[in-house]
Amino acid sequence: MTEQISDQISAFIDNELPDDESALLVRRFERDSEARARAMRYTLIGSALRGELLEPHPSVLRRRVAAALLGTTPGVARGKQRQSLRFGGPLLRVGIAAAVAVVAIGTLRSFREEVPETAGTPPVDAQFLARDVPELPSYVVPETTDQAPAGVPITLTTYLMHHSEYASQLARTSARSNVVGAATEVVDPDPVPVVSKPLPVEQPPIAGRPAEQQ
Amino acid sequence: MRSRAVLAARSSLVLLLVGGSGVAQEAHDWLDRMSRSVEELNYRGTFVHILGGTARQLYIVHRNVDGQSGERILSMSGTGREIVRQGDLVQSILPDQRVVLFETRKGVSPLVSALPSGGAELELHYEITLGGRARVADRATQVLEIKPLDEFRYGYKLWLDRETAMPLQSQLVDGQGGVVEQIMFTEIEVPADIPPGDLEPTIETTGFTALRAAELPALAAEISWQANDVPGGFRLSIATQSPMAGSEAPVDHLVYSDGLATVSVFIESARTQSDVREGFSNVGSTNAYTIVLRGRKVTAMGEVPPQTVRTIATSLVAK
Repeated sequence: MTEQISDQISAFIDNELPDDESALLVRRFERDSEARARAMRYTLIGSALRGELLEPHPSVLRRRVAAALLGTTPGVARGKQRQSLRFGGPLLRVGIAAAVAVVAIGTLRSFREEVPETAGTPPVDAQFLARDVPELPSYVVPETTDQAPAGVPITLTTYLMHHSEYASQLARTSARSNVVGAATEVVDPDPVPVVSKPLPVEQPPIAGRPAEQQ
Repeated sequence: MRSRAVLAARSSLVLLLVGGSGVAQEAHDWLDRMSRSVEELNYRGTFVHILGGTARQLYIVHRNVDGQSGERILSMSGTGREIVRQGDLVQSILPDQRVVLFETRKGVSPLVSALPSGGAELELHYEITLGGRARVADRATQVLEIKPLDEFRYGYKLWLDRETAMPLQSQLVDGQGGVVEQIMFTEIEVPADIPPGDLEPTIETTGFTALRAAELPALAAEISWQANDVPGGFRLSIATQSPMAGSEAPVDHLVYSDGLATVSVFIESARTQSDVREGFSNVGSTNAYTIVLRGRKVTAMGEVPPQTVRTIATSLVAK
């Protein structure tokens, strides 16, 4: 999967791909399972970002796909708007137009037929799409270096790893995801003068001796 | 096998404690199944971790053989960090800081401590209800909602795989229903076996600084501190002294839990004032509050609202 194809898929989901390229990409979906799977992932991410979760509108996407094949894709937003979206970060970019859920790309083979819609249930072909991922996951889109988050102070990282050992399974996944993916943000520093003088250290009250090994 | 036996015993206890309607019972059964699945199943997949409008894609592989679990989590964007847990050894690879933290987890039993500690008690502080059905990652799921009954804890909305009870999607929600954090699998595979090589670190660490904690077990300890003001339902569940990477001496670690939410309190020597930044901080959805008490640096942290960690940290006193 080339970066160019990835960009095309992202632009297609955002309704920013020119008509001719959209038509070619839709035809590519018919034979390229990797491209279909990538489109699926992008759409899921976009839906999650905007809180739409899993209630796509297959009819909307069917119209999009049909329009692309017929060369009548709605006008492509260009210029400043497109540029600003590109600078908005890759995942935000993915999310902009994800209301056209790509799960319905699975209906390509029968897009001209009206398929009865069942709320919350994607088309049968969508199941094929999700399972048809031929490789271990790759980067969605590499993040630009100037947007890299600040590093987590090592002490806090260490604390968080130890904390995660005792957290519930749900909180543990959150904590470890925070370690690998999130930045530290000091909300209310409650400033302390940065002076490297020793604090008046008192003896800790009876440093407890280990009682028993767990 | 011992772990499975312990889990089964605790599951039975949960079922005995839970009263109420069949629906409530079913909701607790789902929660219990989820707890076991996350720990016992083999799985690998990609999930999206969304915080405040920023999303990152992470890869996870979890392997369990005869009750011994290992795990690898890799950030596929942003920092590119990786956590690898194999047996007792935990490596945290931080390429953004060119550091690898090596720590040993001996004498710790996260399986037991991580389970919800009793349905009846949970319902004093959370409302747990079954929702509808939906599809996530192209799998049928059962929705489960856990709403906090006060402002000291967060709740969850979960989409549990109907076949395995794995949480394919979870939202951490505040008391007003606002989504604090969202985790959603975009791909997941639950194979019968996962080769041990899948847990090998993938990041090249040549030239990184290695910080190693002393290879001593975490020990249950009679810690000389206690929190005098903890929100209702939180109880001291664990007290340990743990060697930690980057710390010269073992660090006191208190764990307070209400059965679902957990707050850790770390207490160690504060050598200089420049060593400490007092106040709030957060790492994603984990809130922390740091304060210096009697020459000791105290940090409370957890996936709870900020006021909860501050309340607990500032109420710490010597016994």
